Amino acid sequence: MDSSSSSQPEFDYLFKLLLIGDSGVGKSSLLLRFTSDSFDDLSPTIGVDFKVKMVTIGGKKLKLAIWDTAGQERFRTLTSSYYRGAQGIIMVYDVTRRETFSNLADVWAKEIDLYSTNQDCIKMLVGNKVDKESERVVTKKEGIDFAREYGCLFLECSAKTRVNVEQCFEELVLKILDTPSLLAEGSAGVERNIFKQKPPQADASTSSCC
Amino acid sequence: MVRGFVTANGMEKKRTSDEFEPGPIPPSQPVDRFGFIKQEQNSPDGITKSRPANEHEREERRIRKWRKMIGVGGSDWKHYVRRKPHVVKRRIRKGIPDCLRGLVWQLISGSRDLLLMNPGVYERHGPGQRSLYNVLKAYSVYDRDVGYVQGMGFLAGLLLLYMSEEDAFWLLVALLKGAVHAPMEGLYLAGLPLVQQYLFQFEQLVKEHLPKLGQHFSEEMISPSMYASQWFITVFSYSFPFSLALRIWDVFLYEGVKVVFKVGLALLRFCHDGLIKLPFEKLIHALRNFPEDAMNPDTLLPLAFSIKVSKRLEELKQEYEKRNVASLQQTGSANRQQLAIKDKEFSIRPETSNCVPKDDSSR
Repeated sequence: MDSSSSSQPEFDYLFKLLLIGDSGVGKSSLLLRFTSDSFDDLSPTIGVDFKVKMVTIGGKKLKLAIWDTAGQERFRTLTSSYYRGAQGIIMVYDVTRRETFSNLADVWAKEIDLYSTNQDCIKMLVGNKVDKESERVVTKKEGIDFAREYGCLFLECSAKTRVNVEQCFEELVLKILDTPSLLAEGSAGVERNIFKQKPPQADASTSSCC
Repeated sequence: MVRGFVTANGMEKKRTSDEFEPGPIPPSQPVDRFGFIKQEQNSPDGITKSRPANEHEREERRIRKWRKMIGVGGSDWKHYVRRKPHVVKRRIRKGIPDCLRGLVWQLISGSRDLLLMNPGVYERHGPGQRSLYNVLKAYSVYDRDVGYVQGMGFLAGLLLLYMSEEDAFWLLVALLKGAVHAPMEGLYLAGLPLVQQYLFQFEQLVKEHLPKLGQHFSEEMISPSMYASQWFITVFSYSFPFSLALRIWDVFLYEGVKVVFKVGLALLRFCHDGLIKLPFEKLIHALRNFPEDAMNPDTLLPLAFSIKVSKRLEELKQEYEKRNVASLQQTGSANRQQLAIKDKEFSIRPETSNCVPKDDSSR
């Protein structure tokens, strides 16, 4: 990524991914594990965070631009505009906290319907914290059923032990690579259109008509 | 003192306000005067280094001046501020002596008055519960509209290093309800209306003060919501060096939120020539990870103070409100919350509202 001065495009495709889910389920930890292979006690995300990761998947050089969002309801006003243009959305819950799972249907799936602009956008359901097996309250079967009903991919993982973390992103990206409309958006040539998004504006300025 | 509760390496990264688990300071690790574990031997802020003798004397003189200004338990403060507001301002901008910071913060925020006039309103919860949880819980019960919002923990944590739970609670009340300055509660209420307003104002100020950078930001589609929300929501206590955060808080409590704009602009100005060359993704990273020399309070703050924003802030606020009202009328869905907040005078729940000063402070 640092050799960006070369005129050769440094990647074949660029995809925009988004992490959503309740506060404390481990979205930022998942991202930290994926991008820097480390684990830490993180403070809550205020607003949004952003990381880039270069990967080679399915023989393609890919640049993943990943937006991480604050989970607390109050921040949705700041996070909702980041759904726009995402090719992949990862919905995270905590297998040891039931309400983080029930909020997927009550809150997060609705948020996607409301704010995602991409018809073909790939959704991935991720149950985190499987390292705490003894505290588990959401079964794998429930996760699978939810994923089937809502048309998502599904994996359980642990950002702490790194189990399945890379697979989460890999499976999501493979599916994006499999979807012609998303692939077209992610081609290196049209970077400007998808990598950046129209910056979220205060309510005032978004609805200007005259 | 509750100082030991932040034992991780600084405010920067390590705290989860959700599941707050304060631990005792591990005895073997050296800590700085704030109770933080030292990360490196030569800490960049230099506060742990031994100082030359004359500097020590100067510091002593400074403290004596401050003590005189404050009086016993703050008794002379108001009088002094009324007589010599400019001296007070100048001294605060040089940094409040650390040993007096807790008291002075309470004096300049107006929380001292709130505490004195509301005896017994603040109540401790269970004895085993910890300070931060106590203060945040107390606040969320006290003000159910705001409740608990992530980010408030950073404010409370900072305050608890310098004062008791009860004092910190009242200081939070003073800030959010606007005892001295404009109320901050809009930063945390549903819809985060004040965050939206501040981001709008900040974006405009960047365009006006740093036109080239503003242009670069719009070309790269960088909006302040990507980097500055946390500056406002936590008043720089989220990811900035602690020594810098304290210096900003000295001024913030006395002069209000405009210092957040000033410091934000100063950071951008300081790093201007580097930032202007960066593409989107590197910009985002840079705007969340300023270099150490940019965050030296003794260079950053004078730069910040040299940037004038008060007048434009007021104009931009009116512009924002005008646009907001217009867009509300357009969509036909009156956002009651935003209007309500705008018009809201300092109001505390009925049982205490009669005891709360609106503007009796001498400034």
